[in-house]
Amino acid sequence: MNKHYWGLWSLLLAALVFFVVLSFWQDGFNVGGLEIKTASFARDMGAEPGPRHVTDADTLDANGRLPNGKHPKGWRAPMDTTAKNILFIGDSMLEGLAPRLAKYCDKNGHKLVEVIWYSSSTLCWGESARLTELINEYHPDYIFVCLGANELYVPDIKRARRPHLKKMLAEIGDIPYVWIGPPNWDEDTGINDLLKQEVDEGCFYLSANDHFERSRDGAHPTRPSAHQWMDRVIKWVVAEGAHPIRLESPGEGISRASRIVIYQPPK
Amino acid sequence: MILDTIDISQLLSLLTFNRDEPMLFTSGLFWVLFLLFLPVYAMLKSRRKKMMIFVIAFSLYFFYKSSGIFFLLLVATSIFDWWVAQFIDSSKNRTERRIALTVSLVFSLGILLFFKYSNFVIWNMNALIHGNFQPLDLIMPVGVSFYTFRTISYVVDVYKGRIQPVDDYLDHLFFLSYFPCLVAGPIVRSRDFIPQLQENKPATREMIYGGLFLVMLGIMKKALFADYIAQYNNIVFGNPTGYTGFELLMAVLGFTMQIYCDFSGYSDMAIGLGSIMGFNLGINFDYPYRALNVSEFWHRWHITLSTWLRDYVYIPLGGNRKGKFRQYINLMVTMLLGGLWHGAAWTFVVWGAGHGIALCVHKLCKPWLDTIASTRLSRTVSWLLTFTFVAFLWIFFRANTFHAAGQIISGIITDFEWAYLPVFLERRFTWCLMLAIIYALHFVPRRVWDSLRERFIAAPWWLKLVLFILLIQLVLQFASATVQPFLYSQF
Repeated sequence: MNKHYWGLWSLLLAALVFFVVLSFWQDGFNVGGLEIKTASFARDMGAEPGPRHVTDADTLDANGRLPNGKHPKGWRAPMDTTAKNILFIGDSMLEGLAPRLAKYCDKNGHKLVEVIWYSSSTLCWGESARLTELINEYHPDYIFVCLGANELYVPDIKRARRPHLKKMLAEIGDIPYVWIGPPNWDEDTGINDLLKQEVDEGCFYLSANDHFERSRDGAHPTRPSAHQWMDRVIKWVVAEGAHPIRLESPGEGISRASRIVIYQPPK
Repeated sequence: MILDTIDISQLLSLLTFNRDEPMLFTSGLFWVLFLLFLPVYAMLKSRRKKMMIFVIAFSLYFFYKSSGIFFLLLVATSIFDWWVAQFIDSSKNRTERRIALTVSLVFSLGILLFFKYSNFVIWNMNALIHGNFQPLDLIMPVGVSFYTFRTISYVVDVYKGRIQPVDDYLDHLFFLSYFPCLVAGPIVRSRDFIPQLQENKPATREMIYGGLFLVMLGIMKKALFADYIAQYNNIVFGNPTGYTGFELLMAVLGFTMQIYCDFSGYSDMAIGLGSIMGFNLGINFDYPYRALNVSEFWHRWHITLSTWLRDYVYIPLGGNRKGKFRQYINLMVTMLLGGLWHGAAWTFVVWGAGHGIALCVHKLCKPWLDTIASTRLSRTVSWLLTFTFVAFLWIFFRANTFHAAGQIISGIITDFEWAYLPVFLERRFTWCLMLAIIYALHFVPRRVWDSLRERFIAAPWWLKLVLFILLIQLVLQFASATVQPFLYSQF
């Protein structure tokens, strides 16, 4: 073998070994304050525990969950007609959605707390403890989330955002919730796929296929279109969602949440 | 312990066809496989036949991984065109030769047209006759546009008597399936490639490490620069009305460099891999944004494509041999086809037409332009005009629709304010820095790059390793870094 080929081969091999070994630190590590990211070799080889296949022998726990923590396909809780303490968190899309949800809450006796974190994403929510703080402060028994519009084009999103999404879902825990997907204006790089994979059965409303009338910025639906969007979500929650609650139509119009919290865009 | 955690079935699924994950030179999987490929190739290099069979098998696997069962199309094309070339060479009857050439062109172009343009035709028919024909659910074989042009050039060259047909079918299959050129070129000609294959010279230190240098340069352009700056460009081109004129202009400038880094970076990797394997695949991009006019731009941009279009479309149409008017028509036809080759959409046709018109205007004005003295001022003005025009046409190349292209252009003209510059710089500093670096690197003199290449080749092994690791780590650092999608200037 040509000695220069040997030199090149050993160089590539040394580099590969270096990156494979580092890849077992799947979350990266810190060197002098700098976050060092690692390759995906270990994850691709299956070092990360993958989703467990469900068998007939698997039984549901008291919350209707399988041993893997997920609800089985098609599982639905019975309609809960009690008054709820609803927390609605998300990005700027809430400006259009929340007032319409507030109208439903008024009609059905629910209390709504609306938290808009402008320009936020699963990354900043996942990295911060804000969701846990909000849950501790407002003790919601139902949560709506609308996030994803600020990460439609994130590269390698499933790898980059999955841990943050998982952390958010862990923070939500056993509280019934609905995740409203982003209103795509162009094909995304995988945020909707990621949400479909991670969010519980019957808890994810895919907005990507809906038609929206856009406001001047092109990204947000107009207010009437956002209200229709919320109507569609609520119709879905009642008819198909995993955690249906009493959400009778209040007729036209909007209202105001009992409390509105606004956070500045993340730095 | 580590081996216990490896899921063999997941590993195997990585190695089989997945339409969402074609094997590219920037993927970790390719480099792992290349690491297995290289020692075997090195051992077989001097035994030509065995080396060829091994490389063909690897190339076909490479194609299968990206295009599934369609790798058989490549094999079928290679068998058919090899046979046609033999027939053309042996036949003395002109009509027979012409028929054979026509059949070959229909076969090769038929495959390309079917996979690439069927839905384009269906959409246009629906629009014209208000029909309701359903688009076909087609998977376009990766690289079909490139290998089709390579096989056409081979058969046409044999027909024209420029080259002798390749006697050994394996030589032809090797040429057509050669994996470095398979996905995105360069469109190497048989007459340049086959003699190197038949000679099978051993690769020198300069070729091997010079090739690695080029591969690293390509990785830097494609995986570091292009992929990062593409994020912002995608956001803006996907939703132009949401952005100010300043932001739109930055996206146009960003895309201008993104497309260069993307194309030329991938070409560099292909040429570098070829060099490592002992083949000279020529150059494909020669600092195109240094061009002082559009004709020069096309001598520097995607050179193997532009020379292919010149030799197999423009010249056969008559080139400049049939008067000025016919020359302009020929130029327009060539550039329109060149535009359509890039993608099945009218926006690509307009992009091609724009370049065709510019080439005609440049040819028309050339006698007058030649009288202008070459001063720093005249060169600067020429460069600025050329760059602005080329960047302007990229809007049509990138925009999803004419409507979106119009929104971008009108946004830049009617809604441009320098006041956005400080906010933009602050919130998208890394993006701006990267763009500035790419533009600066583009104007680094060639001798500096040549000198860097020589130094890299001469550098000790450990230094090359450190540089390689640093580059890959940089790619990893930026692979999941995101660009701020919206500027909430009201805050």
